[in-house]
Amino acid sequence: MTRHCTLLSPGLYPVESVIVPCLLFVFTALCSAGELDFNRDIRPILSDKCFFCHGPDSHERKADLRLDTPDGAKSVITAGKPGESEAMARILDKEDPMPPLDSHKSLTKKEIDLISRWIKEGAEFEDYWAYVPPVKHDFPAVSDNDWPLNWIDHFILYRLGQEGLSPSPEADKTTIIRRLYFDLIGLPPTPQQADDFLSGRKSYINVVDELLASPHFGERMAMYWLDLVRYADTVGYHGDQDHNISPYRDYVIRSFNRNLPFDQFTIEQLAGDLLEQPDKWQSVASGYNRLLQTSHEGGIQAKEYNAIYAADRVRNVSAVWMGATVGCAQCHDHKYDPYTIKDHYSLAAYFADIHDDGYNGNALPTNRPPEMIFLSDQLESDLAVIRAKMEDLAGTEIQPEIEKYITNRTALEKSLLVGKKSKKAVEKQLKEIELEIENRFPENKKAAWRNLRSKEKQILNSGRRTMITSAEPPRTMRVLPRGNWQDDSGETVRPGVPEFLGSIPGHTRLDLARWLTDPENGVGGLTARVFANRFWYLFFGTGISSSLADFGGQGQPPVNPELLDNLAVFFYENGWDSKAMVKLLVTSRAYRQSSIASPELLARDPYNQLVARQSRYRLPAEVIRDNALAVSNLLIKETGGTSVKPYQPAGYYRHLNFPKRQYKNHDDKRQWRRGVYVHWQRMFLHPMMKAMDAPSREECTAERPRSNTPNAALVLLNDPTFVEAARVLAQRILIEGGSNFDDRLEFAYQAVLNRPPDTGEKSVFQSLLEKTGNTYLKSPETADQLIATGLSPTPPDLDPVELASWTAVARGLINLNETITRN
Amino acid sequence: MNPATRRTFLGQSGFSLGSAALASLLGNGTSFASADHPDTPYFAAKAKRVIFLCMAGGPSHLETFDYKPKLNELDGKPMPESFTKGQPIAQLQGQELQVLGHQTEFKKYGKSGLMVSDYLPWTAKMADDIAVVKSMVTEQINHDPAHTFMNTGTVISGRPSMGSWVNYGLGSMSEDLPGFVVLTSVGGRNPQPIASRQWSSGFLPGKYQGVEFNSAGDPVHYVSNPKGVSAGQQAALVDAISQLDRKRNSIVGNPEIDTRIAAYEMAFRMQTSVPGLMDISEEPQAVLDLYGAKPGDGSYASNCLLARRLAERGVRFIHLYHRGWDHHGDLKKYMDICCGLTDRPTWALLTDLKQRGLLDDTLVIWGGEFGRTPMFQGKGGAGRDHHIKGFSMWMAGGGIKGGTSYGETDELGYNAVGNVVHVRDLHATMLHQLGIDGNRFTFPFQGLDMKLTGVEKAKVIKDLI
Repeated sequence: MTRHCTLLSPGLYPVESVIVPCLLFVFTALCSAGELDFNRDIRPILSDKCFFCHGPDSHERKADLRLDTPDGAKSVITAGKPGESEAMARILDKEDPMPPLDSHKSLTKKEIDLISRWIKEGAEFEDYWAYVPPVKHDFPAVSDNDWPLNWIDHFILYRLGQEGLSPSPEADKTTIIRRLYFDLIGLPPTPQQADDFLSGRKSYINVVDELLASPHFGERMAMYWLDLVRYADTVGYHGDQDHNISPYRDYVIRSFNRNLPFDQFTIEQLAGDLLEQPDKWQSVASGYNRLLQTSHEGGIQAKEYNAIYAADRVRNVSAVWMGATVGCAQCHDHKYDPYTIKDHYSLAAYFADIHDDGYNGNALPTNRPPEMIFLSDQLESDLAVIRAKMEDLAGTEIQPEIEKYITNRTALEKSLLVGKKSKKAVEKQLKEIELEIENRFPENKKAAWRNLRSKEKQILNSGRRTMITSAEPPRTMRVLPRGNWQDDSGETVRPGVPEFLGSIPGHTRLDLARWLTDPENGVGGLTARVFANRFWYLFFGTGISSSLADFGGQGQPPVNPELLDNLAVFFYENGWDSKAMVKLLVTSRAYRQSSIASPELLARDPYNQLVARQSRYRLPAEVIRDNALAVSNLLIKETGGTSVKPYQPAGYYRHLNFPKRQYKNHDDKRQWRRGVYVHWQRMFLHPMMKAMDAPSREECTAERPRSNTPNAALVLLNDPTFVEAARVLAQRILIEGGSNFDDRLEFAYQAVLNRPPDTGEKSVFQSLLEKTGNTYLKSPETADQLIATGLSPTPPDLDPVELASWTAVARGLINLNETITRN
Repeated sequence: MNPATRRTFLGQSGFSLGSAALASLLGNGTSFASADHPDTPYFAAKAKRVIFLCMAGGPSHLETFDYKPKLNELDGKPMPESFTKGQPIAQLQGQELQVLGHQTEFKKYGKSGLMVSDYLPWTAKMADDIAVVKSMVTEQINHDPAHTFMNTGTVISGRPSMGSWVNYGLGSMSEDLPGFVVLTSVGGRNPQPIASRQWSSGFLPGKYQGVEFNSAGDPVHYVSNPKGVSAGQQAALVDAISQLDRKRNSIVGNPEIDTRIAAYEMAFRMQTSVPGLMDISEEPQAVLDLYGAKPGDGSYASNCLLARRLAERGVRFIHLYHRGWDHHGDLKKYMDICCGLTDRPTWALLTDLKQRGLLDDTLVIWGGEFGRTPMFQGKGGAGRDHHIKGFSMWMAGGGIKGGTSYGETDELGYNAVGNVVHVRDLHATMLHQLGIDGNRFTFPFQGLDMKLTGVEKAKVIKDLI
């Protein structure tokens, strides 16, 4: 019972519309009165109410009593005898109760009864669930063997049965096809794509396979991954200058598209530079270590910022891969989990070999070595062609002579990027080498050589710079007492994993990455469980444990632990195959349920943890943008590349300085690229993104809030991106949608919602069209103004009044709740 | 706090359920027993709202309120090492440290005899209204983290700003405006960048986020209709959207839709109310003159006048930033500019609030994210570097005892030595005046009970109230 009490505490949910009156009912409903489970029923009470003073933190510990271990607790708990247990006596002491009055914490009668019952039944402790490696559980037998489509469904149906609930019927096919498209590629189906499925030309599995193979699958997964690792285009502190990192985003998209095994994905990001002869993409991946917020403010103290950066990396790596809040142990031992302050700094020590100095100056973008020049596949092949020509020109005589110069030159060029040598000196040397090479050629070949060489340079210069990691001799890492960077009295530490999770012989980031993903000799099973939970969240709207980034004692235990375990084991046993994981989830019966909930079901399980239905929620910020651009056919579907700048209110960056800057939106097709590519200015995230709850990416975000505010309404109504999309959709309606109102509205509904309008909807839009049209007839110049919104050209042969009037209809459609909701 | 007391307090505040419900639609929480935070520990409040005048960049306490004769004596001499050894230093790292005497004169003002520098002749007139804290300390020596620390009580990103906390605890009093509004102005030395993080709601629900009102362009992003769309057409559109959403809801039974419809209706109302609010040209000339404000100039003076208008309309937390106080060099020149731009309008704001009977329940706070060193820095003419071990701020209105000087720094204005006030104590005092016990005002996040005042116990400055 208690588990769900905390589980459903409204404060923990960033959802805006919390249905508070139902909660009490939910508790009793979700919690069966069966056997006590320490991890589910008792530990959360002890953690929240007792561990602050009687927990893992030895410095805060009062009366030398710890209640998080059986040994610690035995002095105050007599198993089987609550009446003889000092703990119960203190809890029940009215004068001087535990927890003490000044802690502002108190135990409810139910909680006291549970503790008493637990002691009576033997006061058994269990290892904490999140630190116990997952094991495979048998599928529970269910009453209706026709319902399950795969093994997930056994666990779901069994759990529902325990609660006396039944699953919901399958959603209608239109909802299903839209759900699949939004979930798997973050784009709506075209009317044709929807019809392929509705008519049966394509089966459910066909659609799933097709979407998993789509290049947009990687973009959709990247939206989530980039939130986790706090990917952004700017440094985040003070001057918030742009930094070079966009190839990292391409790497993430590409990795999901190529289904790079998740363990490899982890290794390449944490330690790509430590692999033997890392390839281009592995180097790019190592940019993960450079994604943190940095400062280029004049007058910062390197030592202080080294400490800030170290703590930032610990927070991120532990939140992303371990679902842990090791960052809380920066100043003291963790209050609720067994992470010590030493664990914090030992984990930080893995990253002490990353270049963190010299972030000075206000260059835009910053020059933050080590960087590399990233060449697209196209540029690489162009380069190969040029280089072949160069070799031909040099021939077998000259080539061997110039080889060593070229090698030398390449090394020098690289040294500029990693920033280890004086720029001036290197540039001088480079000039000399160029000359040396040229002089090996006879006069009649010199011009040709120069020409080829300048082409070669041109290609290299058109590459994108991107920050990478390149290991250096590590800085000394010591425990900072109270987190104070000026205090050198703490012990020095070597890289190491949290002590209670074991130890590993290696001391490099590569060792850490392998430990994180090795189920045998590391915590791979635990990592798999963290991600299985997040996959579940992506396709069911909420986690099996609702704490997507905190599997610690103050997080929420899973509602269906066996299911979560099996998913975790499935993930790593299948070679960390993300696509297989996604396919497993979306081909379950549970996934295909309707998201329409009866008021009773909503009251019983408002956050849909038991999955007696599907979830419905507002689409993520990027997808809201993509959807509007897609239905108007404005969307540019290329993948990868530099960040793009959509229309943005003038003066929005006026608070930025060092240097001052003016935002200039892109005035070419980049204007209509997907949201995942939008320039991410940490200090001033695009107001549309912000209004739709995209995070600033200063810290790891495992779950975005889903708000519903007037600001968001203003964006959809008035942001030129959406007004332009509506105008271009109106053009489509007039050009492709037939000539009468009914046909046109039918076309519009199919384009936006994949369904026809009903008569009521027709009459609302008819009346809007007339009202708006009448005004435009009276003042046609305003129609001209509206249809001039945006860069996309307006076809000259359309009647401006008609186009403007239909733009109102299109704006209406783009603003519908149904349009921006995943059902 | 016992619920009866709280109800009484709210009753006295004159809310009605209707306005509370409307306010919640705007996204500002409810002013009644809020579902968001039923446990807020309330007691009788002195202040209903806060106007925070942030002098971004860090004004020198040694040229405003903190007079130290010894500083003038040692002018040009080496700074005694006993003060600076092992202390965090920003741009003066590794340089020879030299004392810089006061760059102006100080005089006593008012019945209280408060010392105020010649840079602030208008502030001097309100010597008996303000309470100066001369013993402020903070923990962060660079601008961005120091602002974050001042606003959120921590340097970790993703935590709520105090304006969000206050709205979370008390709800909004306005039916068509956000509860937390931010206004900015520039003038002085190279303006400090300010991140929107400074008015973020962090882990609190997004509806408590500060909304920046702009003096140029749209006062709020996207609050204007698209070009070529009239108010009537926009009304018809919003109406159609609401009708269609309602119809759809009858099929899918989605409670979110009701909130969405309300959000659209409120958005539409903001489209008319906000531009009206921002148009100060409707103020009598005498009032414009009082502030020295010109409609549409985006100045600190105009922002002060807007702050009063926002206060009148029920905005709970009004945060002004004037970005120009980072005086590493040419301190005299830039003090002239910054004080010239801010001194009189600040006085006008207090005067105007007083005239309208608003100062009694409006807490006004003035200050930067830190102070400046007693040591010389010379980027251009004489200036001072960042300093966090002792600086001055003032509070007025909202139950604060005017004419008070509280706490002190040592003989050179380096370390706060008497009645030291940490940023968390400032937060606690502010919350206390709003009727909230800061040490018990929490929100659960990442398994912890988060507070604006942070982990360490914060104390209310009793001598000021």
